[in-house]
Amino acid sequence: MRIRFGITLAIALAMANTAHAVTLGAVLPLSGSSASIGEDQRRGIDMAVADINAKGGLLGAPLAVKIEDSADGATGALDAATKLHSIDKVPVVLGEYSSSVSIPLGQYLVKQGMVHLNIGSSSPAIRQIGASSFSLIGLDDLSAQFAAKDILGLGYRKVAFIAPNGAYGQGIDGQFKKYLQAGGGSVVAEVLYTPGQSSYRRELQQMQRSQPDVYVYSAYGQEAAVINRESFELGISKTPWYGIYLSMCTADTPAQIANGQIGMEVASLGSAGQAFAAEYQKRYGFAMKSSYSSYAYDGVMLAAAAIAQAKSADPAKVIAALDQLGASFAGATGKLALDADRQRTEQPYDKLAYEGGSLHAR
Amino acid sequence: MFDFCLHVLTLACLYGLMALALNLQAGYAGLLNFGHIAFVGVGAYAVGIGRLAGWPLPLSMLAGVACAMLLGVAVARLGRNLASDYWGIATLAVAEIVRIVVLNQSGMAGGAQGISALPGPLDALPETAQPLAFAVLGLFAVALAAWLSARLAASRFGRALRLLREQPALASCLGYDLGRLKRSATLASAAVAALAGSLLAGYTHFVSPDYLLAAQTFLVWSMLMIGGAGRVAGVLLGTVLVQGVYSFVPLARDLLGLGSETVGALRLGLIGAILLLCLLWRSAGLLPERLRTLP
Repeated sequence: MRIRFGITLAIALAMANTAHAVTLGAVLPLSGSSASIGEDQRRGIDMAVADINAKGGLLGAPLAVKIEDSADGATGALDAATKLHSIDKVPVVLGEYSSSVSIPLGQYLVKQGMVHLNIGSSSPAIRQIGASSFSLIGLDDLSAQFAAKDILGLGYRKVAFIAPNGAYGQGIDGQFKKYLQAGGGSVVAEVLYTPGQSSYRRELQQMQRSQPDVYVYSAYGQEAAVINRESFELGISKTPWYGIYLSMCTADTPAQIANGQIGMEVASLGSAGQAFAAEYQKRYGFAMKSSYSSYAYDGVMLAAAAIAQAKSADPAKVIAALDQLGASFAGATGKLALDADRQRTEQPYDKLAYEGGSLHAR
Repeated sequence: MFDFCLHVLTLACLYGLMALALNLQAGYAGLLNFGHIAFVGVGAYAVGIGRLAGWPLPLSMLAGVACAMLLGVAVARLGRNLASDYWGIATLAVAEIVRIVVLNQSGMAGGAQGISALPGPLDALPETAQPLAFAVLGLFAVALAAWLSARLAASRFGRALRLLREQPALASCLGYDLGRLKRSATLASAAVAALAGSLLAGYTHFVSPDYLLAAQTFLVWSMLMIGGAGRVAGVLLGTVLVQGVYSFVPLARDLLGLGSETVGALRLGLIGAILLLCLLWRSAGLLPERLRTLP
């Protein structure tokens, strides 16, 4: 009898402990061609959870984030989101990385009345997801405008452009061309490559024929590695190469090939950004693989701040708190300044160069 | 949990429709269609393009079925003078062409970003009733397709398809028009696959070129090979197994306390292992086709 009472009490205590614990959800590409970025997003989430729990957790209990694999596709992301909604019952979901996955994921979450925090997709179509979807990352119009101005400022006018033929690549291509032409430059070669190929030699030779002042590219880790290796072999790496999101472009490229490249990246020069970068280095033993870890970190921090302000994990209250916080929240990636569409309007970027095996400010 | 199970059941039904459609060609007629997903994609994109054009959903679905059947005629004609393995490669190429067209067609097909906010067939129902209603609709559709497929297999046409698969020269000697048989099987398959695609787009409220990736075709093929090509019950068993592995691995991971990064590897590893085991010990599938023997 006493043992049974003890067991019942233990279960009741355990349930009481977990009843107030807040669990968030995340849908990330942990398998497939974007897995290295998904893994980096996961690092950012883990760091945020550790930081919050070191300061006493959230609403008086430890915070947890349930991370699910999207398998780099819309159906996989919906599988994961349905699980997070109906089994784990999380109020907030962070994700994904590819715009063509984030859009259906966000639409599903909005339909269920949950909060969607976009931590990796920058397609302008993200703006239309719905009323409970918030973007921590500046959409392509911001990054493309910055890159075009930077390139023109460096004196380059004839640009050969290459990006993946996907939601991200098509989006940044259109925006970049618009801003470059408005500033007096021209795109003399424009290539949207098929992701996942073992060689991009044909595309590179096509660009080479246009004799540009600079090659501008934005490519995912493994594909960027192939592009960089083959441009090195073809000798066209002697012409300047400019990477939009340079950390993503050089993440999987050997240092001797990537050395000398220039580009832009989400700024991490503020005190919060530098503290994050230092903590990342200390925790994992290497420099930040990409800026996506910092967006993921900020996503968890923003969600936690909203839940703390609302004093509740109820999605409707969290949305109201996010609407208030969005205008002033500042994290590792700088100030968010969300607009009426809940999209980031301010996005500081760094001008970088890759030298000696790592990225440096130029 | 109930909603999640309904979601898994709905997806299993939609993939079951695709697998039954492939079974009409590959299981009964022995046609190696590696571009099967093109029919599914045409059905799905019909819903998307219909939404942009302002068509009612039933009209979009009908248009999808009609377009997929037209594509089926083209694919079947393409195969007239090709040996079966070469025809299989040609179908793979056709599916890639369809995917690349929609990927680069930003005006009509939304380009790489696809088309979102698509209507579903059950949008008129209350939000809370939709998951259950969609699962029932999926079950009804797959049960109807399974019944029709089994009837077809037992009919003279079904026997002719199996003769085409086993002894094409004999079928020709008996007066069957082999080209017409292939065309009929492909048309029927295209219609069912397009219907599955339309329902998938209506269920996810989204369509993108990712729906047309070759990996999706091979996922449906793995369902057929694991369950048993040529037998309706086998195809459905294979679908349930593969979809079950895909959907329930994250739950197993939670129960075992494994890291989130293991899910992808576990999914692919388990399906690969099941497929390999089937190929080694049950090469005709878990529920092999039962051929009729004459006394």
